[in-house]
Order: sequence, then C-alpha cells, then structure tokens
Amino acid sequence: MLTTRMWIKIIRTLCAIMLAVPFLTGCWDRLEIEERAVVLGVSIDKVNMETAEKEEDEISHLRGTIPTPEKGMVRVAVQIALPGRIPLGPGESGGGGGGSVGKTVWVIDVVGHSLDDAIMNLQQQVSSKLFFGHLRVIVISEAVARNGLENINDYFRRNSEVRRMAWMMVAKGQARKLMLAAPPLERVPTLYLMSTLDEGIRMGKFPKDYIGIFWSNVSKKGQEGFLPYVEIKKEENVEIKGLAYFVGDQMVGVTKPLEIAGYLGIKGINPAGYRVFVQLSNPEQTIMTTATHRRSKIKVQIKDGIPHFTIDMGIELNVEGKLSDEIQINNPEVLRMIEEKQTEDAVKSYYKLIKDSQEKGSDYFGFGEIVRAKKPHYWNKRIKTAEEWGKMYRNCTFDIKVTLKVRRIGMKGV
Amino acid sequence: MPTRKVRRLNAKLLMPSPSTTMDKYKGQQVSGSLGDTIAFLDGILGINEDFTVRKFNVFGQFPAAIMFFSCMVNQDSVNSDIMKALMYTPPHLIGRSIETNQLSDVIMNDSLYHSKSSLQGELTALVECILRGDTVIAVDGMKESIIITTRSVEKRSIEQPATEQVIRGPREGFIEPLGTNISLIRYRLQSPDLRIQTMEIGRRTKSKVAVCYMDGITNPALVEEVHNRLSKIDIDTVLDSGYLEQFIEDNHYSPFPQVQYTERPDKVVANLAEGRVSILVDGSPLALVVPTVFNQFYQTVEDYTERFLLMSSIRFARLIALVFSLVFPSLYVSIISYNPELIPTDFAVAVAGGRAGVPFPAVIEVIIIEISMEVLREATIRLPQQVGGALSIVGVLVVGQAAVAAGFASPITVVIIALTTIGSFATPAYNAALALRLLRFPLIILAGTFGLYGVMIGLILIANHLLSLKSFGVPYLSPLIPVDFQGLKDLLIRGPLWLMNKRPAFLDPVEETRVSESKFDELKKTSKNVLDPLNDKSE
Amino acid sequence: METRQITVIQAAAVLVSTIIGVGVLALPLFAVRAADSGGPLVTFMAMLLAFVGLSLVTWLGMRFPNETIIHYSERIIGKWLAWIGSLFIIIFFAVLTSLTAREFGEVVVTSVLKSTPVEVTVIVMLLLAAISTRHGITTFAHIHTFYFPFLLVPALVIAALSLKNAEVINLLPIWGNEPGGMLKGTLTIAALFQGAFVLTAVIPSMKHPGKAMKASFWGMLVAGGLYVIIVAATISVFGSEEIKKLLWPTLELAKATSLPANILERMDAAFLAVWVTAVFTTLFSSYFFTIYSMSHLFRLKEHKLFSYFILPFVFVMAMVPQNIIQMYEIIENVGRIGLIITIAYPGLLLIVSILRKKRGNPVADNKNVDQNH
Repeated sequence: MLTTRMWIKIIRTLCAIMLAVPFLTGCWDRLEIEERAVVLGVSIDKVNMETAEKEEDEISHLRGTIPTPEKGMVRVAVQIALPGRIPLGPGESGGGGGGSVGKTVWVIDVVGHSLDDAIMNLQQQVSSKLFFGHLRVIVISEAVARNGLENINDYFRRNSEVRRMAWMMVAKGQARKLMLAAPPLERVPTLYLMSTLDEGIRMGKFPKDYIGIFWSNVSKKGQEGFLPYVEIKKEENVEIKGLAYFVGDQMVGVTKPLEIAGYLGIKGINPAGYRVFVQLSNPEQTIMTTATHRRSKIKVQIKDGIPHFTIDMGIELNVEGKLSDEIQINNPEVLRMIEEKQTEDAVKSYYKLIKDSQEKGSDYFGFGEIVRAKKPHYWNKRIKTAEEWGKMYRNCTFDIKVTLKVRRIGMKGV
Repeated sequence: MPTRKVRRLNAKLLMPSPSTTMDKYKGQQVSGSLGDTIAFLDGILGINEDFTVRKFNVFGQFPAAIMFFSCMVNQDSVNSDIMKALMYTPPHLIGRSIETNQLSDVIMNDSLYHSKSSLQGELTALVECILRGDTVIAVDGMKESIIITTRSVEKRSIEQPATEQVIRGPREGFIEPLGTNISLIRYRLQSPDLRIQTMEIGRRTKSKVAVCYMDGITNPALVEEVHNRLSKIDIDTVLDSGYLEQFIEDNHYSPFPQVQYTERPDKVVANLAEGRVSILVDGSPLALVVPTVFNQFYQTVEDYTERFLLMSSIRFARLIALVFSLVFPSLYVSIISYNPELIPTDFAVAVAGGRAGVPFPAVIEVIIIEISMEVLREATIRLPQQVGGALSIVGVLVVGQAAVAAGFASPITVVIIALTTIGSFATPAYNAALALRLLRFPLIILAGTFGLYGVMIGLILIANHLLSLKSFGVPYLSPLIPVDFQGLKDLLIRGPLWLMNKRPAFLDPVEETRVSESKFDELKKTSKNVLDPLNDKSE
Repeated sequence: METRQITVIQAAAVLVSTIIGVGVLALPLFAVRAADSGGPLVTFMAMLLAFVGLSLVTWLGMRFPNETIIHYSERIIGKWLAWIGSLFIIIFFAVLTSLTAREFGEVVVTSVLKSTPVEVTVIVMLLLAAISTRHGITTFAHIHTFYFPFLLVPALVIAALSLKNAEVINLLPIWGNEPGGMLKGTLTIAALFQGAFVLTAVIPSMKHPGKAMKASFWGMLVAGGLYVIIVAATISVFGSEEIKKLLWPTLELAKATSLPANILERMDAAFLAVWVTAVFTTLFSSYFFTIYSMSHLFRLKEHKLFSYFILPFVFVMAMVPQNIIQMYEIIENVGRIGLIITIAYPGLLLIVSILRKKRGNPVADNKNVDQNH
C-alpha cells in the first residue's frame, strides 16, 4: 500500500536522480594523462619572413588578412613526452632497449605570427590536446628576446596550466637546438636543462629566477627583469653564460658568467658558490678561493635629488687551491694579503657590473624598489613610473664596501 | 533494593502471539485433574518425538507426571534432584499425612532440591516453559503445576574473539547462550550497580534480550529510551543482535552504523563503565553498545592496555588507513584524468607510460578493479579457511600480474587498489569499514566527472551527513563536534589514563569522574626509588 | 523546537567560515588596487570597519536575545517598515548567494574544469548548499565548526610556504605609494566581511547570548587576521605591480608554491579543491540565512520548505552577469549596497531601539526557549 506521502517521496527521488544523471554523463574535462600531449619544453626563434609566410598554413587566419607583425614571425618548437618510451620505475629500459635513449621525446616545430598563433598551428598538426601543465622550460632565442617578450609573457600568464615555477631562458644562437639536445644524464632532456639551473641555485651559482619571479620583476616599477643566458655546448650540454637583462620586456644586454657572482654578492644571496683566482704579486702566486657565505646591506640616501646607494657587503671565503708552492699559506699575514687583494678585485668588478647596467638603463638589481620602499616621498614626487626610474637610474651614484674574510684553508696545512 | 538480580521487565507485546494452536486456550487454568493436564500438553506437544511424559507418584501417594523435552534438559538433574526427591518421602515427613491443598507448599519448601522452581497455573504458560527447556510437574489435585528450570543446551566453549583479536588484553569472547555472556560481564564488573534487565522480543522466537547498564553512571533517560525503543519492536524472529540494531538505530538509510557491536566482554564492561547501555540477545555472541559515536570505530580495546604514546601513534596509522580506504582511488582518478600537473614531471611521464596501452579511462579501470577486488574479498570470506588462502594468492598475485601484463590495467592502478584494500582491512570495525568501502564508489564516479572538485563535493556531502547524524541524540562526531576538550584526549590520540579522568561528556553520565587526579599526584609524589644504589647503606 | 545549544566557539567558527570564502581569491587584487603595497593596511582597516558593523549587529542581538532581526525589527520600527527592511535583507542574501556561487563557478571553469559549462559548476555548489540547509540551526553551527580547520590550515600553509619566496621590500612603505584609493578599497574589502550578518540568526540559539560580543570579536579577529596574512603573503611574494595583472592572486600564490620535497609540485588545483569547503560554508551560510529569515518573516515553523524552492531563483540570478569583468563590477556594487543593509540598517535599528527603550526578554541560560515566538 503506497500512501501519497510515499508517492511524493518516490517522485522526489526520481527527480533527484534525473537531475543527477546529466552531471554524471558529463565528464566534460576528463582527459586521460596518456591522451594528453605533455609539453615539457618550448623554444621560440625568430624566422625569416619570406620562408615563414610560405610555410604557414591558413589555420587561424587566411593568408594576407592579417599583416605580419612588426617584430617578425616566430618559429616555435615544442618537446612532447612520448609516454610509451619512458619506462616506469628505475630498472627496465622500455621499448627498443639501451640504444634508443634519445627518443623519449618528440620535437616538432611550426611557424606563426605570434606565439598563440604558432601553438594553434601546432595543435592542428598534433592529434592529442597539448597540455602545458608540465611545461618546465621555455627557451627564447636572443633575437626574439631583444625584440621584446610582451606577447610571450602574455600568453603564458593567461594560460592557467603554465606553472610559475617553470624556467624561462635566453639562448645564444638558435633556441630550437636546446629542444633537440639529448644529454644522456636524464631520461627526459628538458629535465636536464631544468636541473642545470635548479642545481645552480643549490650550488650558489645562480639566483632563483623562475618565470614567476621574472614576471614580478618586470612588473615592478623600480626593477627590471633578467633571465639566464645559456649556450649549448659540443656534447649537448648546457652552459650558463650569464644574465640576460631587460628593460621592460626587451633584452638589452648580457653579463659574463663571473658577473653572476657579482650580482649574487650585491644581492647577498646564499649559498655562495663561485670560485675566483686571486693573484697576489706575480702569476705564480695565484690562489683560488671559494665563497661560502654572502651578506649585503644596501642603504639609500638622497643626495642633491639623486639617489645614492651604499652597498656594504661581506663575503666569507675558503682557500681552495694554489698554482705553485711559491706561496705558503701558513700565517695570518698571507690570508690578510689574500683578503686585501681579492677585496680590491671584487670592488672593481662590482663597480663595473653596476656601471654596465646603468649604461643600458636596466636596474635588474632592484635598487629602484629600495628607493620606492624606503624613500616613498621622494619616489612619489620625483619618479612614480618605471620609465622615470629607468632614466634616473643612469645617474645614480654608488658606494661599495666589501669585507672579505678567509676562514678555512681545507685539509692541507700550508 | 533487590540488586544483583535479573529483574523481569514487562515488555508489552503489540500483537498477540501468532500461534493459532495456543490462542484457542488462552487463559485456561490448570483444572487439577492430572489426566486433563497431560492430555492438554500431549495434545499440543506430543507430536514431537523428544517430548517426554513420565508418570510417577509423589511421596508414593499422589499421582503426578513430569514433562519436558528430553534433549533440552539436564537429565541428571531431572533424575536425581527432582524425581528422586519427589518419590522418596523426606524423613521428617514420614508419618505425617499431607492434604492435597498443602501439597504445593510441602513440595516447594520441604522436598524439592532445586533452586529455580516456581508455580504456574496457566496452561499456555506451561507450554511456553516446556518449549524453553523447563520441566513441568503436574500433580493430581493441584491447581498449579511446578515449573523447574532445568534447561541445558549444548554450547561451545569460550574462545578468542575471532573478529577482534588483540595482542595485549583478555582473550575471552562471548558465546551464544545469554547466561554465559552475562556471567562473563558480571565477573568483570562485580558491582551492585550493574543492572541487567531482560525482556522477550520476537513473536515466534521469544528471544531473551538483556539490557545492561550501570546504575549511578548511565543517564536514566538513556536507559528509558533504550527500553522504549526495544519494547516497540514487533518482529517474529530475532536470530541475532543485528536484527535489533536495525530497529533501534536513528537513521535507517545511512550507510554508517549507529550502533556498535562487539564480541568482547571487556569492551562491553568498558562501555558500561563509561555510561553506555549494552544489549545482549540470547543466541547471539555479539553484544550491542549504544549510543555510538564515530570514533569508536577506529578504536580498539588494546589502545588502553598498552602505553599511551605507542597506541596514540598506532591510532594515527589506523586513521590514515581509514582515510586511505575512502579517498585514495578517487584521488588517483582525478589526478590522472584531470590534474596531472600536480605530480612531479618525471613521475607523470612515467605514469603516462604505464597507462599507454590501457584501453579504458582511469575511472572505468579503477571501478572494474575495485569491483573485482570486492568479489575476491567476498569469495575469500565465504570459502573454508584452507581454500581461502590459496584463492587470495591466486586472485591477488596471478590475476593482478596477468591483468597488468595483458595491458588491461596499469601497474599503478593495481598498487592503488591494493593499498586501498589493505587500508580498509586496518579499520577495526567491520561495519564501519564496509560503509567506507561502499562510499568509495560514488566518490570514484564523482572524481571521474569533476576531478578533484567532484571528490571534494562528495567528501562534503559525506561530512555533512555525518554531522547531521545522531545516535540516541548524541551527535555522531562527538567529541570533535560539538567540541569537548576533555573528550579530545581520547579522539585522535589516546591520552594517558590518569589524564582522562572524566567520562565522555556527550553521554551525560550521572557521575562524571572516573579517575581521581589527586590520588595520582599522590602516587607520583610518594613513589620512592627503593632499590636505588644510592640508598644502599650496607657498604 | 531546538534548544539553545550553540557555544561561543561555535558562533565564532560560524562567523569565520562564513566570512572566509571565494572572496579570498581576489582579495589581494582589491587591496593592491586601493593602495599598492599598503594592501595589508587597507585590509586591516576594512576589518576594523566590518567589526564596527558587526558589533552594532551583536549589540542589537544582545538586546533581543530571543529573536532574530526579522522579528525584533518589527518591534522597533513597526511592522510595515520592518517588513520592507527584512525583505531587503532576504533579497540581498539571496543575491549574495548567487554571486558567490557564480564567482566560484567562474574560478573553477577558468582554472581547472575548462570545458565544463559554468552552469553545471554553479548548480552543483547551489545544490550542495541546498541539501545541507535541510537541517536545524544546531547542525548548521556544527557544520561550520567542523570545516573551520579545513579553512584555516590550507590558507596558513600556503602563506607559510610562500615565505620562502617572500621579500619584505615589497610590503614597504606600509601605507602604499599611492594611498588615494584607500577609502574606496576599505569599503570594497569591508564588503567581503558582510556574511557576518548571519550572527543575527545565530544569537537566538546561543547558549549564552550575553557572550555574543566575545564570539564576534574572535570571529572577526581570526577572519580578519587571515585576510591580512593572505594579503601580506601575496604582496610580499609578487610585489604589488604584478598582482594588478592577476585576476586571482591567491590562487596564483598557490601555483607558485610547492610542498617541500616535491610531494605536490604545484598547489593551485589542490588548493582550489580544498577551498571548495570554504566556499561551501560561505554559500551555505548565506543560503541558510536567506531561507531561515524567510521562514521567520512568514512566521513558519520550518525553513526546510524553502530550501529547494528558492534554488531556481538563486540559480537564475547567478547566471545574470554576462562575463567575468561585469561579474566583478556587480559584486563590487552589490557589496556597497550590502554595507548599507548590514551596517547602516542595524545601526538605525539600534539607535531607535535605544531611543524608544525597547529590549527583549532576558534569557536564563540553558533554558529551552522557543525561538520562533
């Protein structure tokens, strides 16, 4: 016997089920991991206009409807992981045995008017949906970087899949080569590229400069961005060649590798890891030291309406080695000599580093931020915008004090 | 006050007894004629082969008959304590003439050597007594028959509880007869406050149900409510305490058990002492404990016998297993199908490699393997133990390995399901583990529809359900919600016994304190290092 | 009728979990737009403003410890005026519900479930809230208390992990370089706190209504403190200029953080998943408040009736904004109106009630009190 109440109950349940069914059949976004084309790396190069025009298909627009952008067209290469080739677990080598390590990824390239456009063209050629959730490395050729990165930054910022912990780097020469390189240390080549930089941070050879940090720096009014500048070597290994620094989103210059140490010293970033030669009196008396700890304090004063920075740095050193036995490291006097000599060299190199950046008008150290934070009245009255700071930066004066301390000399007594 | 006595409770039957043969004779009294009584009982029960009627003469002069079911009574007792006592005239009565109207007093007071005997004048009641295993003695001329409790039913010995094993703690488990079970409780709780009240439930089985509680601890309103709910049960057979559970629980549609069962007498005693009520049913080795809150399902007796630091961490492990068994597969599905960016790149690429040949989406794959795992588990439980072991090896090792080799499932899926299954085994309460296992499936489907978002929606629904659930008015998640800081000492961790000095507040016990704090302080202060070498004066 | 069971802690938890919701995702953006690096200060001021509003409401509630605002407003300013006021409150909370659902729907569709229709995500959240509102106010408080840690922990974890990348210099100067928009920003952010108005429905069920002020103080302190922490953490990691370019900076913060040892390489999807609970509690509160007030307005004993009844209306309202930018415009405007309803209106009631010397019957603690009459 069913009472009305029960009928109502049954009908209500049925309604609920009917409502629920469309949701369950939904699965709009389900896309299995193996059905995604997992993009691990992207490289962006500049291309010759004529060849590119010919190569490009009419995918996102018809030929001739959209004028080619002033900055030229780009060639985008992506590195896609091949799921079957990368074995699960450490032991077994999947697929064709030991010889085929090189083919864990698939590199394809397309041209396009912009990055979006190129990716669109690429999607037309790849069956699975491109997935940027595991994009770890973006390599940009120097030519593109000097042209400006607005479009590239915009694309990656807008895409919710891209992580802020990815690396963006500027390549000397062709960027695509880095995508093709297959260093034998890692199964997945881009992971090698990434670990080069990640380990660099751990060894004190490079500052933290993920794409997210780069973006923040570019956005800041009193700071410019910088990116690692890399070059591919003979054995498909990668060398960090320096910092590529920017004004706005245009690259304006590159430092030397040792100058990265200068940057790290000025910013007081730990751990410290660079080694330098110190020549005491003659070439035979050359000592190599390694920095173990850095500290730095930057103060700003306004002198005659121009910011004046006092940088007080302290670096702790260990002696790593010497060229010959001509010098005995057995008394404090020698260590003091090393300290003095190296201080002299260091101060010189810091001045030069800052001088170079002032010439290009690129304050990638973030001195402007210090002014903004510590002298807001001055900033609000005189500067206010990033452009103004760029101009002002050229005139800023600096005062650098370095205190070096040699602490240890290793296991050898002399 | 008659303490320590099984008080009989007047449970009103809602419907009359369904036995048509008995209904006819309702209210008939013993007529006094022996022949009539024998004829009546023989007419109803005589068709049964084991129904015994033995005629004899009481004290050699009054014709009488003894009636019982031969396989339900203790024959020795019937022969020596009843027959012998009644046939011989006791020495002090020799020569005295006994009138028929004095007879019942004489028999009861002077001759019967049996402690549990009573008089009954109603015919239908006699039938019921014989059915229960009692012996009926009808004497010619007496308006009442004598009923003697001689029941003796074969029972197994007391064994280790099969489903609630402990390493440290008592080894006894309940068995089927109610009397034995009550004795197991009573010798652990030798207090006049222990009250055991019995009632009969089941129109045909007439199962004896005992309600145990501690007077002066348990909230009287709770006892009242338990009685109230039990007395309103109208069912014809009660074969196990589980039958009652399904009537007295608060929410019948919830997957979560709102009544705890146990086969450990020590657990029942612990619960009684906390202020709960326990319900035992004759014929069932499982006692019910009410009210029940969620945290009881991941706690064991052993938590309290071992030292608190160790058991707290083990309790954590159990909780993790509980969570594992609920969410692991759905998390896996949502990460694989929706958010592969969450896992490390190398691993993601490797997982993609493992899944490369699998024809189904992760949801379907996981559901298929989960279902086959459930089938396997059920098969292992139902099979005899010797075969069961072999089956689980075949099932897990061979089938699992073959499924991966055949490209039917990815190896990681197998790992995930195996972990989940093991996790669900680590939950001490079988019924709670069952509930979580069941809820896993909707979660997997939600994960397949909305990814992590769906899993959260599912978990929120489950949590909201748990929060609205009540067992005898106690919120199911007490003492977490509503927060009771005393109770938190025994929730995720198991606090030291001397710190948990209050009974759970959510049970609203009459007396709150169970451990005297000051005494413990005294214990710590007055303890001496008597054997400390420094004290050694003999040098 | 339920007895008075809600404790001070529970009431505070209701406040915190009601206040903290989807608004947190965009909060740093509002704060930075107002006064770049002065964001934390703006948030703090907004918290003070919101606390002033809440304490008015609490004071009023303590004067009438047996009734909800729907009832006592009738005694203070007369039946018809109060009816209009109550109607505004109900409509406002219905709108708030729909906007919360829509905002979160947009977040989910933009960042995680890209091809799922926004209608589906919105209706799923609304259904979840509707199903849960079918219980009494005690369960309502229990649910909030239960989810309280699920809201605090992920937010604090994200903030703590981001310390690794934080730079103090981004937070200086603390009053911001361009503090011109401070007042406007304070109002915008204060609007994020207005869910606290739900306290008017909680006070009549509190065990000790006299301690309501304590609950509102702690509730506001925890919620406001969390807001300030999140704003400070976001600004210190990104810098104010970068935040201006991000739609949901808090989500971006989760994206930029990874758990130690790379257990989870990025937390945005996980954070969003955990944040579903926070959004649920907010939605649940405003939904519950809407139907609870309706049942009081119409003098009904049960609010269950309305729980599915208003669902279609709320859903349709949620679908009104055409795009995400329009949606945020509407949210800001509704927030401003909300400040009038949740601060000015009770303020007015309070003044009138003091002038007319009206107050409710005091309540003996722990007594069973019929709340509806």
